[in-house]
Amino acid sequence: MVKLNEINTTATFAWSNAAIPVLATGSAAGVIDDDFSSTSSLQFYSLYDKTPILSVDADAKFYDLDWSKNNTLLAGALENGTIQFWNTDKLKSGSAKAVGKGIKHTGSVKTLQFNPLQHNVLVSGGSNGEIFLWDTNKLEHLSPFGPGNPMTPMDTITSVAWNHAVSHIFGAAGSAGYTSIWDLKSKKEVLHLTYTSPTGTRASLSTVQWHPSQSTKLITASESDGAPVILTWDLRNSNAPETILTGHSKGVLSLDWNAQDPSFLLSCGKDNTTMLWNPLTGDKLAEYPTTANWAFKTRFAPAAPDVFATSSFDKKVIIQTLQDTSPPVSTRISTVKDSDFWNEISTTDTQQPKYFVKQAPGWYGCHSSVSFGFGAKLVTVSKTGDKTSEIKISKVKLPGSTKNENLEK
Amino acid sequence: MVTIGNAHDDLIHDAVLDYYGKRLATCSSDKSIKIFEVSDEGHKLLETLRGHDGPVWQVSWAHPKFGVILASASYDGKVLIWKEDQGRWSIISEHAVHHASVNSVSWAPHEYGALLLVTSSDGRISIVEYKEDGTTASTVVDNAHAIGVNSATWAPPVAASSAVDTTDKQQHERRFVSGGCDNLVKIWKYSPETKSYLLEHTLEGHSDWVRDVAWSPSVLVRSYIASASQDRTVIIWTQDQPGAVWKKQLLTEEKFPDVVWRASWSLSGNILAISGGDNRVTLWRENVDGKWESAGQIDE
Repeated sequence: MVKLNEINTTATFAWSNAAIPVLATGSAAGVIDDDFSSTSSLQFYSLYDKTPILSVDADAKFYDLDWSKNNTLLAGALENGTIQFWNTDKLKSGSAKAVGKGIKHTGSVKTLQFNPLQHNVLVSGGSNGEIFLWDTNKLEHLSPFGPGNPMTPMDTITSVAWNHAVSHIFGAAGSAGYTSIWDLKSKKEVLHLTYTSPTGTRASLSTVQWHPSQSTKLITASESDGAPVILTWDLRNSNAPETILTGHSKGVLSLDWNAQDPSFLLSCGKDNTTMLWNPLTGDKLAEYPTTANWAFKTRFAPAAPDVFATSSFDKKVIIQTLQDTSPPVSTRISTVKDSDFWNEISTTDTQQPKYFVKQAPGWYGCHSSVSFGFGAKLVTVSKTGDKTSEIKISKVKLPGSTKNENLEK
Repeated sequence: MVTIGNAHDDLIHDAVLDYYGKRLATCSSDKSIKIFEVSDEGHKLLETLRGHDGPVWQVSWAHPKFGVILASASYDGKVLIWKEDQGRWSIISEHAVHHASVNSVSWAPHEYGALLLVTSSDGRISIVEYKEDGTTASTVVDNAHAIGVNSATWAPPVAASSAVDTTDKQQHERRFVSGGCDNLVKIWKYSPETKSYLLEHTLEGHSDWVRDVAWSPSVLVRSYIASASQDRTVIIWTQDQPGAVWKKQLLTEEKFPDVVWRASWSLSGNILAISGGDNRVTLWRENVDGKWESAGQIDE
């Protein structure tokens, strides 16, 4: 881990989908600031700068934020029950304009996500089991609709996630403890997933994420301290999870599956820890420095998969990179004491992550290669299988004035 | 043609011939480097070098005047310098200034001395000088490319315009080109006054990661740089004389079928070889009208 930035705010956030991503943060709902401020702001940060590029006022505090895949629209799930939209087209010239409000939820909006395949479609979830679908092409005349009838009533929806391969399928999870799968084509809930640990503790599946490419695979996590597990599922057999990732000592609050390499998954939770996993093998790869309070959201930057951010209730949003090969420095952390709460919030110091398994991400290294050598010899490397390559050395006939059609082999 | 199958236990990322074309160095995700003796008749494994604690992405042979020396770049964040002496290989130096995967290594033209150009996912580029008295000196370019640097190669020792007039002090100008995860290509120039490398040009044109950059080694009328990208295009950048603007031209208007991983110029500089994610290697040359046309392909 190389820490790129530390932003001192308790906030939920969203990454832009740009090569050099921008982080949008929204003042977190449900927390009291040390200055008792009730104002809420939406701020935009670069990867390296502690001061925001831009800060705009929001109607209320945020439970969630998401950026449309084409980077033009930012949606905030607000405590006051509305969804607020900002146009971010002109972010570069320093403007983010509030362009609409979605009013339909009867309680707080807890979670929302833009569809990865249909950029204008948004799903939101909140109190009273409410789920709504929005067409953001019609921001002036928003007419949200529900996904159909649930199999069993859900309590507060805390997480929604679109399938990455099939645009009309999404998952929702909530405080009722199970994850439900919805099909918008048939307008109903088609499956629901529950899990009880071998010791009889029921997991509270409050977070859901889909596999980045395979349509039937998804992952859920339990926020229950009694069963702090992460479960991978294949919907072709939804009776039991495929893999169970154990390692968190308290409930898990957030998950993110890397879009470019499915063998990387981030999780964070009530044990103040952010962890990196290979969900395909079940290996825990790394544990990042703990924060001084719950780590409640973690996300990879979509177009810069080496970079991720974690926000925690100790007034921090930390942007860091996955790997660090520099030699260890002394580790030190001090947890916030209750008595310090009103004066000093953050006291975490420089710590190093612990790496358990060294695994190179798929976005590194060339899978094929070519290089010229003396005498017009050409060396080529081509991938012939998952773990096999072939090398060829051939002699290229250098062209004279005519086109070189034949390669001497 | 010589074919070497299953040389390593995992994917091979790079294979390069030495100066004389007699030895081949290969490197792999299996963390090892192999040295083969190659001739028209076949190949023979001479040595397997182990020392990295992660996949090895690239290898580069030093000019033979410095000895039989190979540099290797690995995911473990290190560059190792290997030397052969009477058939025995050993690690003679370790370069560990980077905090993340080291993605490329390239030795400078020998006229500059034993100078190594190193790029890393930590966003930095380092230049290491191995001096004759055995000491080394590193120069680091911080924040060269946000998110990470994928590749960098040196300019040929003589600047293009001074091809005729080699007495010009242009000869001593050191430049290199780099490409990174910010989708940019950047040209850097050594400043003897500040003893550092300063950004000379930033070239915009790609819409996704730049995977490889290759500066044509020949001293032609113009300077040529090829940049290969994940956006499935290759851009040829040309400059008529040092300091002038770099002109941009797509190698081919039609996109490649897959990610373009590598670009390599023939030693005479007039043929460009491109390798892509579809496992095909294509050859290109510039025609008299200044357009790039196919010069054949290497079949699978």
